[in-house]
Amino acid sequence: MNNILATILKDTYSLSQLKHRLRILKSNLLKTFFGGITSTSEESKPTSEVTHPEDSNWLKSLPQSFYQQFNKDNVYQIFSDLEKMTTNLPILTMYLAFEPDEATLNQLGTFVRQTFNFPLLLLDIKINPNLIAGTALVWKGIYKDYSLHAKIEEKRNEISQGFKRFLR
Amino acid sequence: MPNLPVDPTVLMLAIAAIVALLLYLHEANLRKKLESAGDTFLEDLREKGWDTLHQSIKKSQDILGEAELEGVKVVAGTTLETAKFEQDIEKKLAEALNLSKQNIATAQASFLQFMQDLQKRSEEFEEAQKTTGQSRINQLFDSVEGKLSDFLIQTAQKTTSAIELELKASRQLIDTYKAEQLKLIDENIVAMMEQTLSIVLAKKLSLKDQLDLVYEALEKAKVEKFIV
Repeated sequence: MNNILATILKDTYSLSQLKHRLRILKSNLLKTFFGGITSTSEESKPTSEVTHPEDSNWLKSLPQSFYQQFNKDNVYQIFSDLEKMTTNLPILTMYLAFEPDEATLNQLGTFVRQTFNFPLLLLDIKINPNLIAGTALVWKGIYKDYSLHAKIEEKRNEISQGFKRFLR
Repeated sequence: MPNLPVDPTVLMLAIAAIVALLLYLHEANLRKKLESAGDTFLEDLREKGWDTLHQSIKKSQDILGEAELEGVKVVAGTTLETAKFEQDIEKKLAEALNLSKQNIATAQASFLQFMQDLQKRSEEFEEAQKTTGQSRINQLFDSVEGKLSDFLIQTAQKTTSAIELELKASRQLIDTYKAEQLKLIDENIVAMMEQTLSIVLAKKLSLKDQLDLVYEALEKAKVEKFIV
């Protein structure tokens, strides 16, 4: 079970990405097992519901051994367990001033996991343009703002004094 | 002689005619007598009238003569008296005139003297009045000058005080306004800067720059051991 989750989380860095990938994976496997597709070589093929090329590429990138762990009997149980396990995964909520694309999200996820040494860490990305730049983090219910907005707020008096000197 | 028929009517008429004639004659005779008596009476009356008239004329002439005589007497006396009276009057009048002339001369002299005195007094009074008036005018001018000076000084002081108060109030108002404006700027300038930076950096910062800043933030979080 941990192998399956580790394989999925290998290149899945955000919570929404994980949920989405679990959903398409489950959908794909259910189609495979209960939709008339019998060939194991076809298991890796994306179903017609998977329309996004990135999703399709991700499904194709999963190794054959990964798919061999699923069968008609355990697929529901596995996904049920996976959903339970995801609730226990460490999640770092990250507020960004911009909306990252897939590649940027991967870079960020890789960096976070390496920096904080959490191989299974998931990011919960939220957008807040008021941050201007940088990021604000929520870890275990504690919010910490490391954005440019926070730096400005931190140095508000100095900036204000500077403006006052300039104005007077 | 023939016989004539005798008619009683004719006879009666003849008798009546005779009687009438007799009566007429008698009346004519009587009237003649009356006329003669009247003429006689009238003649008497005329004579008496003429006598009376002559007497009256005579008496009148006498009276007139006497009256003329008396008138002449009176006129003569009157003329005499008149002349005498005139002389007296002239004399008295001359005396009165002389006296009047003397009185007039005296009065004129007195009047002239009085006028001279009056003129002299008037000049003295005028001089005194002029001196007093000048003195009063000078005092008045001094008083007015002093009061005006005081008033001007007070007015200047009040004006200066009012201007100073106004200036003070204006300065306070300006200071208050300036302070409020600066406070408003102070309060909002950082927010304005943030908003400006947000707008500008959102367009100007590249993805790499954004990521670098995020990495920097994460490094800082690591240093602070925010995620353990």
